[in-house]
Amino acid sequence: MLRWKYSRPLLGIIVALLAVGPLFTFGPLHGPGLQQTLAVAFLYGALALTYDLLFGFTGLLSFGHALFFASGMYLTTIFVNTSHINLFLSSFLAIGITGVLAVLIGSASLRTKGITFAMVTLAFGEAGHVIISRNFGNLTNGENGLPINADRIPQIFIGVVNTKYLYWLALVTLIFVYAAIWWVTESSAGRVFSALRDNETRVAVLGLNPTRFKLVAFVISAVLASGVGVSMVLVSGGSAPRFADAGTTIALLLMVILGGAVTRWGAVLGGIFYSIASTRLQDLSQSTALDSIPKIIKGPLSEPAFTLGLIFIFIVMFAPGGLSGAYYRVRFRYLNRSSK
Amino acid sequence: MNALAVKDLHVYIQGSHILQGVNFEVPANQVTALLGRNGVGKSTTLKAIMGLYPSTGSVKLFDKELNGVATHKIARGGVGYVPEDREVFSTLTVKENLNLAAHAENPNFELVYSLFPELLSRGAQRAGTLSGGQQQMVAIARPLLNKNQILLVDEPTKGLAPKLVAEVADALALVAHESTMLVVEQNLALVKRIAQFIVVMDQGKVIFEGGPENLHDEKFVHSMLGVSGGHN
Amino acid sequence: MDTFILISITGIGLGALYFLVASGLSLIYGLMGVLNFAHGTFMSVGAYMGLWFSTQVVHTTNTWTFIGALIVGGLGGGLFALIVEQLVITRLYERHIDQALVTVGVALVVGAMLGGWFTNDLRLLPTPTWFINIVKVRGAIIPVDRFLYIGVAALLLVVMLAILKFTRIGLIIRAGVENRHMVTALGINVRLAFSAVFFLGGFAAGVGGVLTAAYQNGVSPLTAGTWLIYGFIVVVVGGMGSIGGSALAAMLIGITKQFANYYIPGLGDFVIVFLLAAVLLTKPQGLLGKVSA
Repeated sequence: MLRWKYSRPLLGIIVALLAVGPLFTFGPLHGPGLQQTLAVAFLYGALALTYDLLFGFTGLLSFGHALFFASGMYLTTIFVNTSHINLFLSSFLAIGITGVLAVLIGSASLRTKGITFAMVTLAFGEAGHVIISRNFGNLTNGENGLPINADRIPQIFIGVVNTKYLYWLALVTLIFVYAAIWWVTESSAGRVFSALRDNETRVAVLGLNPTRFKLVAFVISAVLASGVGVSMVLVSGGSAPRFADAGTTIALLLMVILGGAVTRWGAVLGGIFYSIASTRLQDLSQSTALDSIPKIIKGPLSEPAFTLGLIFIFIVMFAPGGLSGAYYRVRFRYLNRSSK
Repeated sequence: MNALAVKDLHVYIQGSHILQGVNFEVPANQVTALLGRNGVGKSTTLKAIMGLYPSTGSVKLFDKELNGVATHKIARGGVGYVPEDREVFSTLTVKENLNLAAHAENPNFELVYSLFPELLSRGAQRAGTLSGGQQQMVAIARPLLNKNQILLVDEPTKGLAPKLVAEVADALALVAHESTMLVVEQNLALVKRIAQFIVVMDQGKVIFEGGPENLHDEKFVHSMLGVSGGHN
Repeated sequence: MDTFILISITGIGLGALYFLVASGLSLIYGLMGVLNFAHGTFMSVGAYMGLWFSTQVVHTTNTWTFIGALIVGGLGGGLFALIVEQLVITRLYERHIDQALVTVGVALVVGAMLGGWFTNDLRLLPTPTWFINIVKVRGAIIPVDRFLYIGVAALLLVVMLAILKFTRIGLIIRAGVENRHMVTALGINVRLAFSAVFFLGGFAAGVGGVLTAAYQNGVSPLTAGTWLIYGFIVVVVGGMGSIGGSALAAMLIGITKQFANYYIPGLGDFVIVFLLAAVLLTKPQGLLGKVSA
């Protein structure tokens, strides 16, 4: 309760500032470079949040979440490119089909629990990645990825000068996903999800079917992820197999752990931080700043996964709760002191 | 002289406060029965003594603190454990089950085979294919291979046919001559036969300590254990 | 007929490689409940150790130096696995999800280190000249290296089964796979068995790393991920904690994949996932797994 009172207005101010930033001809949000970076970061923040519903709130460690994100991306791209349906309808179709896919995969995977569930979802996710990267049915253009046909999407999303619209699209997507997850987790179903995470038998004793509730959480998070995928198609100009691989799901896991599972804003922050950090670390590795460091250290440092992986290990082992956990620890210590 | 002294033992499992400050003592060279209705924390108490659940409080074995010590060290320190539901290794043979448990310098196979001759003849059989009674024999035999300062025995006759109950009871009565024992048991006839001391638990706490003669008092049994005694 | 034999034998050869990855995964999961995402890096470390031995230590390439590379790779993978177990896994004792997560971190960090040092390009592992020979089996032309993979995997299978069957540590591992807590309650320090399975699993993965380097014509930190995913599938199909189950499932999956790929190129991976789903729907504990997985 406490935390809402303090963080809600702050959250509102931050969102408002981010929203109006590109309107000014001065200030940091003016340039398309940062707008693009932030647009991608917002979408990863939103995607991390959909994963948090699954992993953090419901306790389902899935390694196949990227599949639904990629499914949203590829289906949208394919419909827009090859049929005469417009972008709006295409994305609805893509999200709907992903929902059906999630019901099928979820029902099969949820026959297992815990670590086995993780393995099974990993296998399904990998199957999706294989279908995409091997170009089954000549729909996905294989390893090269599938650019979206620029003539068939609204022109406000095309061109460097219009990057701000992509930025706003990403911000709106993030806010929408945040609101949806907020609504789900605060609903009575959301309480069942958390109860499932803590003690499944207790839920079963209440006469509720644990598997059915897990499936609902699984499908909601998949559908939202595919929605984020639709925005990602526009922001990144098409689909690519890397969005479907296990590495993407593992990145989501990193984001959620980094930001702190079970806190909505923590997952978002983790996603944004991870996304920006990996681009910045990539830039750093190509700069001359590392030239003076011996090769044995420079080599690993030039790989963003090295630094991010180390931070991740550190958080899992020594700082559970990630960024948001650290924030609450400091906050409560401060509040305790001031109340004395 | 007390073999075991449990003081203010608390256990939380998945947020539930299962043991809420358990206090009792087990006199040396005697058989103490831990009684109580289902779900009051008897098995949890034994598991917590073994270090199988994280707990706070104190468990002393002849002045040696066990709380916080690793389970295998507690067992090596002379606490033998016969778990509820037997927990024999079903994919291992009877002989392998016994070999696994034997860590003393001279494991006392003679004692085990004299108590349960069947285990010798069935040495090569997989424990999972044994009957419930035979599995219970394996479970009791395992700690007896080593030297124990105390034996913790959890519901040894649970789910056994009456004839087997008698057999297991005989074996326990024999073992009781050799070792201090703390036994959780629902079968009051068996308790009356072997126990010199009883401890009754309710809702995560000890509510009574005293002699087994109380079990002949119908009222006591009914109020403490919620069963009618005397029939067994 | 010759096509059938060709596909079967190459399928078993592929299965042999899967087995080398899966056996360790299965034992580690079965005994400790740890889903080990770092297992692919055990392969990579083994492969680079083998590469180092073949190119830096010895300067000739013959059968003996390749056997040397296999042993060095196996020891490298095994010791590295021990280090990972001691450094991170034991510190998260019984926290299974955190253990799985931390192995993800280890996989990322070690993969990045190897990539940073040796680049992500495939580096050629020198192999004896007879590797490119072929053998005719009833008219089918079989690359001879496939028999090597099968032989090495079979040897390791026998060694592992013997260790499990006839040694005290093997007895502890088998008992621990069934009921870890009861083993400790009998006075046995089960952590020694944890270290043993990490070493054994890492050894098999390291040997597998060297062999897969020969199979795919080179070493790269990027290839371990795919083998790892197949390892997981084999473990799920075969049953957690069962070495025999892993061997059986590895063969089944290797052969199925080769046959599917023969009829429709690229179909193999897809069919395997369907096989996995079928096993899960009918026998969730795997072919030979313990009932409560």
